[in-house]
Amino acid sequence: MQKHIEINNPSPFIFSHKLKGICAALGFLGLIAFVFGLKMDASRTWQAFLMGFFFFTSMSLISLMFLALQHLTSAQWSVNIRRVFESLAAFLPYSAFLMIILALFGAPELYKWLDPEIVAHDALLKHKEPYLNNTFFLIRSAIFFIGWILFSRKLTGNSLKQDETGDDSLIKKLIPVSVGYIVFFTLSYSLFSVDLLMSLEPHWFSTIFGVYLFGGAMQSLMAAAILLILYICKKGLFNGLVTMDHIHDLGKYLLGFTVFWAYIAFSQYMLIWYANMPEETVFFMHRSVGSWMWVSLGLLFFKFIIPFLLLLPRWAKRTPKYLGTISAFIILTQFLDLYWLIYPNFDEHHANFSFYEVLIPCGMAGLFGFAMFQFLSKNSLVPMKDPRLKNSVAHEVVY
Amino acid sequence: MASDGLPIFTKLDGMMAVFTEEHQILEAARKIKEQGYTVFDAITPYPVHGLEEAVGVKRSWIPWVTFIAGATGCIFGTWLTWWTSAVSWPINVGGKPMWSLPAFVPIIFELTILFAALASVKIMFVACGLPRVNPPVVDEDLTSHKFGLFISSKDSKFNNEETKKALADLGAEKVHEVSEY
Repeated sequence: MQKHIEINNPSPFIFSHKLKGICAALGFLGLIAFVFGLKMDASRTWQAFLMGFFFFTSMSLISLMFLALQHLTSAQWSVNIRRVFESLAAFLPYSAFLMIILALFGAPELYKWLDPEIVAHDALLKHKEPYLNNTFFLIRSAIFFIGWILFSRKLTGNSLKQDETGDDSLIKKLIPVSVGYIVFFTLSYSLFSVDLLMSLEPHWFSTIFGVYLFGGAMQSLMAAAILLILYICKKGLFNGLVTMDHIHDLGKYLLGFTVFWAYIAFSQYMLIWYANMPEETVFFMHRSVGSWMWVSLGLLFFKFIIPFLLLLPRWAKRTPKYLGTISAFIILTQFLDLYWLIYPNFDEHHANFSFYEVLIPCGMAGLFGFAMFQFLSKNSLVPMKDPRLKNSVAHEVVY
Repeated sequence: MASDGLPIFTKLDGMMAVFTEEHQILEAARKIKEQGYTVFDAITPYPVHGLEEAVGVKRSWIPWVTFIAGATGCIFGTWLTWWTSAVSWPINVGGKPMWSLPAFVPIIFELTILFAALASVKIMFVACGLPRVNPPVVDEDLTSHKFGLFISSKDSKFNNEETKKALADLGAEKVHEVSEY
């Protein structure tokens, strides 16, 4: 049936003084905590920095990955929410700046393999030196970020250009670009997670590590997209261009990747548990002693079991307040996951938690929010000249 | 068929209206619902968007069966692995504890899925009255290009003449009585 669809222009998003104030306050708090933290406990400050940095960088990268997937399959249902995902990817240039700070100043505090003294006395690290050394680390990071930023410019750039010209071939040209991004992203993100997180415990290795982080990041991306869409809907800016059916489908993605994350996490755990080899089990040994055991169990319950059961019913994905609460909760659990990956490498007995872990990621959230809202306020909230927009708005979730 | 060409029904199941256009069936279903009919059904050759809403189909209760069957499978799997590996015939595998949950999670998971899937299919067959060897042919065109709206005689508002008129007014191509639905 051809439902009668009214296409109204969305209202412009205004980056209000209040919002700007919140972003600036968060950023300022983070900066203060960072500066004070460096004086008090440099190692912990950089751990918190890494946690926030990895979370928001992953968010942007996975958002681009989702966009690439939509372009690659010429998906119609998601055309009207494309801009939301593009805004979540707007953080990448800032992220590159943070990466420079991390690589130049933070890395020596975090990574043992950067210390020639330790490497000289460690046979395994010596063996891994051709990969784990400062020069190659910097080269890799540079290649990754240049690649990601170039791809993001192309992927969002063509979409924005279409807003002016209405030329559909711009979007068709993105199909090969999307293929390129997906291949590049898969390889680079896997190595990126090895460089930044796995090498915190340089003796340990797990081949599924990149997929594990991808699962968690995809889950939190869906949660963030749902929150952002609900926020814009609440302000009434979409003017009926985004319906409950789109939010419902994003909710399904959220549920799906909740399960996917748990599946990958368990696959990683079970193989290591079964084989029981010391160089592999060290990772889980550190995370099953003392208070870390509680964090591990918390991850199982808060990141999988509880959201899974809460998201199962159909109404759960169609009730904005309920879905929004779960989404916010899932974003917190992604931070918990990164906390669980980073911190036991430095203190294997106690799960410490204080202002570093709260304020420094908050500061990055301020920066992320600034990039995102800036992007939204500069561009139309919905790509109005995409010829598939009407079909997208008419999208319906069947029973 | 009786000699005068009119069908003689030993029983009357309801009234069937046949429409030729998709938008007509949607419109008709909505109107019939507004008129206060509750026991009626739409038959289409392919899924029509928005028809569930127009007919007022409620959410299926089958997901509940799936959920309960899945939970049963999960509990059964836990019991099975515990009883076979730790109680009835304890085997030491690689020095691990007899009842090692990580090793049994795949089995518990598979049994959850197996129970949930088989129960859903089974209950779906029961709920739809499948398999049926001789389904009644209400109208030949309904499986290829036409759309049917059926009002059951069980409906409290059902009245042979009035219902027939109501359906004809909605632009049905033909309206006829159905003896077996």
